[in-house]
Parts: sequence; structure tokens; C-alpha cells
Amino acid sequence: MIILGKIMAVHSYKGGTGKTLVSINLAATFARDGKKICLMDLDFRAPSLATFFGFAKVECWLNDYLNGTCKIDKVLVDLSDRINGEGRLFVGLANPSTEAIRDMSAKDRKWEMRALGRLLALRNSLLDDGGFDYLIFDTSPGLQYSSINAVVSADLVIVATTFDKSDVEGTKRMLRELYDLFEKKTDIVVNKVLHDVSSKSGKTDLQNKIKEMYQVPVISIIPCFCDVARAEGTFIFAQEKPEHPFAKIVNEIADKIENNSV
Amino acid sequence: MCKTLWGARVTKQEIVGRKPLKVLEKIRENLERLNEKMEIMIELQKRDKKDVQLLPDAPLDVMTLLSMPDHLRKTAMTVCRLGRATAEEVAQQTRRARAVESGYLNQLVIMGHLKKERKGRKAYFYVEKEDQG
Repeated sequence: MIILGKIMAVHSYKGGTGKTLVSINLAATFARDGKKICLMDLDFRAPSLATFFGFAKVECWLNDYLNGTCKIDKVLVDLSDRINGEGRLFVGLANPSTEAIRDMSAKDRKWEMRALGRLLALRNSLLDDGGFDYLIFDTSPGLQYSSINAVVSADLVIVATTFDKSDVEGTKRMLRELYDLFEKKTDIVVNKVLHDVSSKSGKTDLQNKIKEMYQVPVISIIPCFCDVARAEGTFIFAQEKPEHPFAKIVNEIADKIENNSV
Repeated sequence: MCKTLWGARVTKQEIVGRKPLKVLEKIRENLERLNEKMEIMIELQKRDKKDVQLLPDAPLDVMTLLSMPDHLRKTAMTVCRLGRATAEEVAQQTRRARAVESGYLNQLVIMGHLKKERKGRKAYFYVEKEDQG
């Protein structure tokens, strides 16, 4: 079987670890570099991409696709004109209305099973037939049905974590009791790091410490940037400030994924 | 003409002569069907059930997958990915023997997680027949 593209799920144990920030910037970086990307908001409990990209209403939400009431091509919104570069960026948005969030949290096991089937079907419809290079799933934190469905459908799970003690312990448990059980290739991104990683040796030492802690590869260490917090989720760093250290780190992550070196 | 253990009548010529491959394939097919029936009987015995129809459908959702033993999860995941597959196709993905996969697949059918459909000589396993959109 020839794998034409790749599906990535960006997941975490706790909220506020930077999943959406990493997902959006990674998608924009790939698109800027000429790739055809689809970024999907699978955080149905707290959707954020619709607000981030400024959509109050779309033809179809991802909720509708998972409900089986529309095809995936009706869901995707083409945002390629917002990207500097040759690539294409499409997004699939989760409905942020309270009614939709309530509806999604009341789904039964049979619905979740069908939703998994529909996520798995994206491999054929988008990667093989649609010519997409990467699908990026931005997920809900923790062991939510929608997140586990995303993890199961993905080729690579990028786990965003921090040095918060409960986050570390929860992430370790998920590595053992979720990703391992589904035999998923997993990489760690440690975000909001306050350690000094300005020197190469300091960065390597910390990387080894994290690798020892989680026993999985560390794709990146992202220092705590005040600029990122100050931006308040209003723009894409990779797009607007490509020279910013955060944008450069995301660029390195994209390179590692592209070169399959993680 | 001689009669085999499983009741098929084959001529000596068929065994040693022009069509040994076809005969062997037929034997294998019959053994597999016998094996499937044995698997079902064993599983029904384990569950103290008399009829496979008595077992209700059980959704194969991710939480169910998580609670499964590793060997069955691997098989179930493969069927989820392929959509619809024979034991041979599943075995190619899992790199386990076809007979082993056949056993696991039938176990999943009995547990109500998979459906099974025969088309000619092949048995296909799938999660559910509903259109995935």
C-alpha cells in the first residue's frame, strides 16, 4: 500500500498546553512551504478554529460530516489566499454554538463508532483522492471520544505537554494506556518551558531528560514566549512573524515531520 | 474414488495427477470452514450460549477497542482501517498467520463487534454495513 499523505493528531492530557497554537502554525508552515494541508477542529467541546479564522457560519461544519449529513468537500473552507506561498490551506471547522456543543457531548457509542469510520474514510477521500499532503487534527484534551477517534485515525500523534506535574503524570498514563495500546507513533512537544535552552548543550540536556521521562522522541521544546501570549490568538506567527523564534521552532517541527526524522 | 475425512469425494488421479493444486485448495477451504465452525462452537461454549444469533450487536467504538485484549484489538483495528476484509487481507496487515486471524475475526463476530458475509469462497468481515458517508 502506498501512503500518499499523512494524518497527524495534536493531542494533550490537559487543556492550555498549546495544541491549537501548534496545529495552526504547523498547518500554515506546511502550506507556506508548498504543501496542500487540511486543518480540522476536532475539539467539539471547545471549538476554536471558527473564531480564530473569523467564521460565524459556514456551508457545513465538521459536526455535519460526522453526523453523515454532508460530504467532506462541503465542509472544507479554502484559506489559501491567507497564506504567503505556493501551498494550499483548507480548514474543517467545528460548530462553536452552545447547542452544537451540547449535541456533540450527548452522542452515544454507536454514533462514535460511525464517526470513527468517517474519520478513517478521510484517508481515502482527502489523502488519496484529494491529493492532500497532510491532515492535521486539533483535538480536545484528555480521553474524550472525539480525541481518541482522532488518535486512532492518525499516523502520528503529537502530544503537547508542559512541565506541570499533573500534566506530566497524565501524559505518561496516556502514553502507556492510550497511544501504546493503539500502536501509535508518538512525539512529544514540551511547551511553555522556563528552563534555559539558549545554549545547545542546555537544550540537549533538557531533551534527554524529557526523553527519559516519557520514553518517546521529543520533537521540540518550546520556550515560554511572552510575545505568543500577548498575541492573544489573533494572528498566525508562522505567517506574520516568520523570523520570530516560535515560528522558527514550528519550522523545525515541520522539517522533522517532512523528513520523517521524528 | 476415495472419501476424505471431511466427506469430499476425490479421485486418486485428482490427488496425484493433473489437479493437485485445486484439490489442495479445496481441502484448505474445507478445513478453514471447519475451523471457523470450531471457533464459533468454542466461543459459544465459553459464553454459555447455544446459538450465535442470540448474541446482540456490540458497537466497535474506541472505548470498546481500548478494553479489548491486545491480540483482538489489533485485528479489530485492522478491519476498521480496511473497512471490509478477508482473513487473508487482515493477516497481510498484522503479519500474523491467516488461520490465527480467522480465529480472531470469528471471535469478534461472535462478540457482536463484526459482521461476516460470505461471497463465493471468500468470507468478508466488516464493522457495519451502513454507508460511512
